[in-house]
Amino acid sequence: MTQIQYYDANQIEGRSMTIVLDNGKLETISKNSSKGAGIRALCHGSWGYTSIDGETDLETGIKNASELAASMNKSTPKEKVILGEVPKRKVASMPSIKVNPEDISVEDKVELLREIEKYAKAEGIKSTRVSYSESLLTTRFLNSEGEEREYKTVRSGFSVSAVAADGNNYQAGRESRFNISGYEIFEKNDPYELAKNAANTALELLNAKTPKGGALPVILDPELAGVFTHEAVGHASEADLVLQNDSVLSGKLGQKIASSQITVIDDPTIHEYGYYPFDAEGVASEKTILIKDGVLNSYMHSRETAGVFEGVSGNSRAQGYAMPVVRMSNTYIDKGDASFEEILEDIKDGIYLIGSRGGQVNTGEGVFQFNAEKGYLIKNGEISDLVRDVSLSGQTLDILNQIKMVGKDVKLHAGHCGKSGQTVPVTDGAPHISIAKATVGGA
Amino acid sequence: MAKMNMSANAEKMFPENNISVDEIRSGIEKALSLSEKLGASEAEIVFSIGESTSIQFKKDIIETAKKSTGAGYGIRAVVNGAVGFAGTNLMSDLENTLRTAVDSAKVMEADPLFKSFPEKDSYKEVAGLFDDKIVEMSLDECIECATDMISGVKSVENMIPTSGGFSRSVSYFMIANTNGLFAQRKGTAVSGFADVTTESGEVSTAYDYGVSRKKELDFSAIGKNAAELAKKSLKGTTIGAEKMPVIFHPFSFADILENTLAPSVDADNIQKERSGLVGRLGDEIANDELSITDDGTLAGGISSGSFDDEGTPTQKTSVIENGILKSYLYDSYTAGKDNVKSTGNGYRYSYSSAPGVDLSNFIIHFPQSDVIAETKRGIYINTVIGAHTANEISGDFSVEGRNAFLIENGEISKPIKSVMISGNIFDMLQKIDGAGKDVRSVGGIVTPSIRISEMSVIGE
Repeated sequence: MTQIQYYDANQIEGRSMTIVLDNGKLETISKNSSKGAGIRALCHGSWGYTSIDGETDLETGIKNASELAASMNKSTPKEKVILGEVPKRKVASMPSIKVNPEDISVEDKVELLREIEKYAKAEGIKSTRVSYSESLLTTRFLNSEGEEREYKTVRSGFSVSAVAADGNNYQAGRESRFNISGYEIFEKNDPYELAKNAANTALELLNAKTPKGGALPVILDPELAGVFTHEAVGHASEADLVLQNDSVLSGKLGQKIASSQITVIDDPTIHEYGYYPFDAEGVASEKTILIKDGVLNSYMHSRETAGVFEGVSGNSRAQGYAMPVVRMSNTYIDKGDASFEEILEDIKDGIYLIGSRGGQVNTGEGVFQFNAEKGYLIKNGEISDLVRDVSLSGQTLDILNQIKMVGKDVKLHAGHCGKSGQTVPVTDGAPHISIAKATVGGA
Repeated sequence: MAKMNMSANAEKMFPENNISVDEIRSGIEKALSLSEKLGASEAEIVFSIGESTSIQFKKDIIETAKKSTGAGYGIRAVVNGAVGFAGTNLMSDLENTLRTAVDSAKVMEADPLFKSFPEKDSYKEVAGLFDDKIVEMSLDECIECATDMISGVKSVENMIPTSGGFSRSVSYFMIANTNGLFAQRKGTAVSGFADVTTESGEVSTAYDYGVSRKKELDFSAIGKNAAELAKKSLKGTTIGAEKMPVIFHPFSFADILENTLAPSVDADNIQKERSGLVGRLGDEIANDELSITDDGTLAGGISSGSFDDEGTPTQKTSVIENGILKSYLYDSYTAGKDNVKSTGNGYRYSYSSAPGVDLSNFIIHFPQSDVIAETKRGIYINTVIGAHTANEISGDFSVEGRNAFLIENGEISKPIKSVMISGNIFDMLQKIDGAGKDVRSVGGIVTPSIRISEMSVIGE
């Protein structure tokens, strides 16, 4: 058998729980326990990967992955993969968990959710939904270079949504907070206040207008600007996409690609939802400056892509024991120096887009589309009418260059990122930013 | 007899996992009888096992071969109508997991609206869901399918894959409950996906994919179609803001339906009043030539099976008939609540999640014609991005059209660089006025190209 030059294994054991309270009814209490492993082996230029649910015998797994790799290499030989060196790093402080969520009884959790729901059930609210989830994972990593790691992570979070209705007009408001945290998540965030906000948003939107679409000056709030940062800039900075010609940032390292006020950072060491102490290749995590003062500074790497670009790895992640891919962690536009009032005054006439209902990006062509939760028209430097069903679309590079002002109020928002069929926890964020002109969709 | 064959097969399907269907079944039966002692009035256990092989390529290089197996139990236990759920993939943990599900149910308040889990029933076999040739596929054969896609892409000048892959999967599912229901089924599928771009010069991208229950899939055509579409999309023109006819390719139409109409006919959303179709049964909600059926019995259908994930026999449900809203889609719980029969639409993401209402095969019927040739001026949209951001209650959406083309005088004239389309699904259903002859199965949604008489379109 051809020589296997490298193998690694991630063995993960976890417990998770979800509680859903829907319209006053405790709809779901769901608990899951799982164990399994994902094993990779590299033979020249071919990767073999196996994943096994349940009790796993790593030795057999390594043998199976190695056989796959060797047989791939035999039938479709290709250039040798040179893995990047593992950077020598110390792991920064691990997040401390104050209240283990498993120490709180299910009854107490349910009671808290009921309490939260009361605040969302404002007058005029037709239905509400409150959910809570927690997960406790133990990850064991080992590779053929003799590295071994074991660490535990605890994540928890909640979301609350409210729907208001007026005839056939239905509008929703939603707030959520997730973190690398124990049950203290409910102390760090005021769930009652968030529930009220969700209800208010739904109610206000009932009477909001749909604006005329067109190219307009735009202000993005930290949440929507964060979605743009993650979807349009972050994904295009993932070296695997760059290598497969699927990034508008391909071949642009060292070039000015954005307004010089823009610095974009990915930082897995921050104790937020996207935190990890080691990546899925056992590499201690570290912050990466993707764009520095408008210049494309670095891509994010796995060991394989780091080997190609002479970059530094640390962004290889996987959902559970799936095959690791290059992923983001906590990604944000760094703070600038403008206050929100200055940004507003500078824009004069345009639209202020707030929150996100998701979006999508074509990283290869650098085209994106995001839907805002709501917006306000800006007239004469002042916030005026509330609008709904507004979306933002455009070309990533064009928008990056059209950024006029960058605020100082960076906020991170937790969410889940899907890529290659895998979902991982991330945060994204930004301060308020303004864009000279962007396409806003409406009626 | 058929069942005997199936179980004998299940062992052969997963030779490396050493599963014994008889042992699993007796373990499940033992656990079910224990559930009563633990205080559950009813219990249900599913076991599923799946095995898959996938081959991934990046650019024109085959990079990774993956083999995965997943197996586990999902348990629902009922106490006073409240349903607790627990899942595990540790085979030795079945009884513990049952206890967890019962304990959760005990914490929940009584639910008088819960009727019961499905009763024992008889099932009709659905043809074309299992292909021995997929079970037997060797790694080299899998690699060949991937290579065929790559050469399909490269047969078009200046085109190269960005990424893509082939995958084959074999699955087996067993369900039993304390009402004496026991059922098992198996399935196979192959699929291919290719994302392509230009090798040099102006960037233009496109994708295509295919999925089949049988080993017959033209992988080379998947690559070639994507490449040709990307090529045709080069040198795009710009358009202004206009109202005009829009023709949606099955990919884009299915994407929009899945995110708007699908949640609207889900009985759970109806009962919670989170749907624009609450109280609309019997109303004319679409053009009277439009009919939509949800059919879990479709031969060879991607979402077909003789029963759903709760053991309810699948059926053909008329959702919209000649423009009239005829039925919502139900699982057993929502059906019990409305005093109707489940439509066999109780599905799970995996054994580790409780079932909920989902589409099976959602089939769009409209008189077919040469719809592009009959359009004087309009646009043709192959795919959209952002459909999942639609407001699923109001049905409003705003999406970016990709690989879009201008139609002039009955012909596709030139590509359009960037176009946003906003609309509302309920408004669209009324305005459907044409369908192509190009029916495709997009996941479980089976549809031709669909023309909407007028929509709001905004160019750059």
